[in-house]
Amino acid sequence: MTGTVATGRRRRLRGPRFALALPSIIWYALFFVVPIAYIVYYSFGTKDTSLLLPVDLTRLTTANYSQVFDATFFTVFKGTLRISVIATALCVLIGLPVAYYATFKVSERWRAVILALVVVPSFTSFLIRTVAWRIPLAPNGSLSKFLMDLGWVGENGIQVLETSLAVQIAVVYNYLGFMILPLFVALDRIDVRMREASKDLGAGRIATFTGVTLPLAGPGIVAGVLLTFIPMCGDYVAATVLGGAKGNMIGALIASQFGGAQNWPLGSAMAVLMIVAVLLTLVVGAAVVWLLPRVFGLLAPVAERVRRGIHERAMSDGAKGGGRTSGVREPERILLAAWTVLVLVFLFVPIILVFVHSFNRGQSFTIWSGHFSTKWWGELFDSAVAWAVLVRGALVIAGALVVRAALRRFTSLPPRAVNWIGPVGFSAAVMLNWAVTDRYRDVFEFSGVGDAIRNSFIAAFGATVIAVVIGGLAGVALARRPGAWTKVFMGVLFLILVTPEIMDAIALATWFPRVADLPLVGTLFTDGWGPFNGGINKLWVGQSLYASAVVTLIVRARLDGLDEALEEAAADLGATPARTFRQITLPLISSALVAGGLLSFTLCLDNAVISTLISEAGSTTFPVALLGATRSTIKPFWGVGAMILFVVTMASLWFVAVVLRRSGSSSSDIAATLTGGS
Amino acid sequence: MDKPIRILAPHSFREQLSRRAFLRAGTATAGLAIVAAACGNSGSVGSDTTAPASSGGGDWTELEGKATGEWSRKIAKSSGALAMYTWGDYNDPAIVGALAESTLGVTMKVDYYASNEDLITKLSASNGQSGFDIVVPTGPYVPQMIEKGLLQKLNKDLLPNIVNLDANYVGQPWDPNDEYVVCKDWGSAGFLYNTKKITRDLATWADFLDACENEASGNCSVIDAAWDFCGPYFWSQGKSANTTDAADLDAAEKYLVDTLGQHIKAFDSYPSTKIAEGAYSIAVAWTGDARQAYSRIADAGGNPEDWKWVLPGPKTQIFMDTYAIPVGAPNPEAAHAWINWELVPEISIQDLSYHGYHTGMKNMEQLLSELAPDLEKPDMIFFSDEQVKTMEAQEMNEALDRLVDILNKTKAKAGA
Repeated sequence: MTGTVATGRRRRLRGPRFALALPSIIWYALFFVVPIAYIVYYSFGTKDTSLLLPVDLTRLTTANYSQVFDATFFTVFKGTLRISVIATALCVLIGLPVAYYATFKVSERWRAVILALVVVPSFTSFLIRTVAWRIPLAPNGSLSKFLMDLGWVGENGIQVLETSLAVQIAVVYNYLGFMILPLFVALDRIDVRMREASKDLGAGRIATFTGVTLPLAGPGIVAGVLLTFIPMCGDYVAATVLGGAKGNMIGALIASQFGGAQNWPLGSAMAVLMIVAVLLTLVVGAAVVWLLPRVFGLLAPVAERVRRGIHERAMSDGAKGGGRTSGVREPERILLAAWTVLVLVFLFVPIILVFVHSFNRGQSFTIWSGHFSTKWWGELFDSAVAWAVLVRGALVIAGALVVRAALRRFTSLPPRAVNWIGPVGFSAAVMLNWAVTDRYRDVFEFSGVGDAIRNSFIAAFGATVIAVVIGGLAGVALARRPGAWTKVFMGVLFLILVTPEIMDAIALATWFPRVADLPLVGTLFTDGWGPFNGGINKLWVGQSLYASAVVTLIVRARLDGLDEALEEAAADLGATPARTFRQITLPLISSALVAGGLLSFTLCLDNAVISTLISEAGSTTFPVALLGATRSTIKPFWGVGAMILFVVTMASLWFVAVVLRRSGSSSSDIAATLTGGS
Repeated sequence: MDKPIRILAPHSFREQLSRRAFLRAGTATAGLAIVAAACGNSGSVGSDTTAPASSGGGDWTELEGKATGEWSRKIAKSSGALAMYTWGDYNDPAIVGALAESTLGVTMKVDYYASNEDLITKLSASNGQSGFDIVVPTGPYVPQMIEKGLLQKLNKDLLPNIVNLDANYVGQPWDPNDEYVVCKDWGSAGFLYNTKKITRDLATWADFLDACENEASGNCSVIDAAWDFCGPYFWSQGKSANTTDAADLDAAEKYLVDTLGQHIKAFDSYPSTKIAEGAYSIAVAWTGDARQAYSRIADAGGNPEDWKWVLPGPKTQIFMDTYAIPVGAPNPEAAHAWINWELVPEISIQDLSYHGYHTGMKNMEQLLSELAPDLEKPDMIFFSDEQVKTMEAQEMNEALDRLVDILNKTKAKAGA
């Protein structure tokens, strides 16, 4: 302990230990704890549609809970858990070989390529990718007709849509990336020497994998399971778009209680039971994880004998057959490579379909009319303005690149100083077009999609800023000022992470009308402030909850690994707390902040569930508008919109990546922190 | 009101009739199809609304139009953004897009809901801050919305073109003095089925339910709204879908949840696209969406001839959707301007040709022959007097909660 009397006094002056976490505490109290508490309260109310908010809270009852336990609703519960558990298991089974291959079997360069290919699909709107599954699975579609010709499917074609199988495919597809990345990070951290040691001690490949690699990858699997299982439980997009009657998920059922059925008490009871069910499943899962090694431990002597037997036989075979081992390994490698390629194809098929179908001449996005046409692109854009924007942007960026090349060649400035010019030129192009085209409004002929895309960025950007600021501060407080408060705070964070989105959505949607009468907060969410209307403010709140929890954990993990001595030294040298924070702590956590921010941004950009329930006319984001459109016919221009969103997102990420590279973080560091690994 | 008589082409002439002539025969009935018959309209309140003082004076522009006769085509230029919250695919995209911008100077944003309850939840949960300027509730839901203070009174001075509406479509029971809503359009519901999969002839709701239980089991789709979902059962039993009789409701629950539920493939209010994808072999649909299904099927390379449209007996539904302006609309002036513009006959017919619902214009027959002589499938838009007489409109009563409950339970059962 290096603390002195002096630092002790200074600390006392800093106020309570949770001071830095105060913004988070207020935020979560106001927009998570209290709204969720209200949902619990509603769940004991009775339905009364004559009231403005259709819950009568004067007559409290537990009838709603017994109604949920009614056999009919319970089946949907069970179905949802089944789909989620199976999908999570499938994600592990499908993802593990890919992560394993990328980590151990390929060069650094190929590893980066595979990772990038895994991540890239998640930058297209996940809603449109879900919709895109309707294309290959359609009973009248080309794939179906092809299979019918082969006689592989019956005369009704592929019968997958509107079943739980379709939902199963879609959730596995949507969350596979969230499983592969944490797995990769976990495997990447395994010291290769451990595996080598295992082999030197005579363990076979399988024994090394199950005995060394898998246990060490455990934390990654747990992280992946948490990142996939919980959102799946609350998923209602896949069920709405693909599920039909058979693929109903509890998320969709709960959402319908707050809309069509106007039965808030029943919906609340379902939501409360759902989170209990999720927690129970996690407890059971944790118990299994805890038990398994011990069971294996009991079986160890047996396993050991078997292993030794196999090994001895292998040794004697090897003695006889010479260099056979490499011959055995080659097929394994090829198999893993083939599997990885298959998975990547699986990840990319819907995106390619989205791209192709944006050129569909027909009236519907999912139904290919047999004719290529750019008409929906033309319908969406004012082509003259759009071309002008592209040309203007290209000219500015080209100009910047020319300047950079000239400076490199003719001056002796260090490359670091010159490299900034590229990103600056990019920003200048973006800003110039922003100014000339009335904030890009003129680019779009059909303003609905354009506004939705712009709202998506405004909402995601604002929510990310909030998440980075309050999450960063809370992360520092957790790592550096632990105390009695940490446990409570971590509890709330855990709840935020495990609460299915649909629950947050209904909690906030029913909470905002209650807040409306409060003096300051109410005005913010009704009238908004400055250029931001109340709807955008609500989206910031809704999208920032999960994102800020993620940032908090990443920052905390980052600081946990660093000695506090630097900060203490600064304090001993007389730096004020504010200065210490600015000059020491902030640089230390900057990479975590950037990574957390990026992750938040992509999550917020895709947010459909919370945003749909709380959005308003002026703040419709792309996923919200698209989800609305899925209720009838989806026009091909939604595919066009999704491609634009994709390009813009990729451009912004490229921009961030370039900036990061300039500031010295390596790409694998970025990937590692991106996935929440620590 | 004088009722033109439906002209049936004599059988021997049918072969000689061109498509256009057939259309005229079909649309001869347009003017007489009456919501009044089903809704118990009290009288001709409509004539009282004819003279909104055009006090605005110089603000009005008179549009040019192709249709002959007495039509009001006054429009008011407006500006800014106009947000509409409506049913899926319910306006010609050209009208809410470029045309609104060039004619009225407003930029429209359209969001969609799937049921009246969704609309009401959205409006009531946002305390008049939903940001929407125009909403499209179905008639029977209007009184409830007025009572909850969700709708604002219309300024009739800003809606001079309301005189273009047929007297049958104003002064409806839910808003007898036309204070809150204006007719958007009206239609009905029936079912479409694939004659390749279901080879027998289906004509009634009983046939529909029977097909669902048998050859179409696991391949049928129903509308995802409580009253629309339960209606077919009651009608198949020769009862009213507005029954409040406990025994009727119990029987409905028993049949729909325990018998029908397991056969349902989807609760889908807009099945047209999925029909074209080949997802269903039989589907209940509102008339406009059913009409669009035919072009979707052709788009997908299928044969529209394989699909038969039935307006089922003994009874089916009729509904009227209305334009209304919610309390707290940010741009009510533009909302009025837009609703008023939609009542210009040329715009109204353009919209009708797209969504396939009768927009309530007077002299519909003449309008069609002048403005949309090639209109496809008019028999799915316009209904004869006899047909309308078999149609029943939803009434708001205490049974609705129960119907919602039945729909919920059926959904849970169908997913099991």
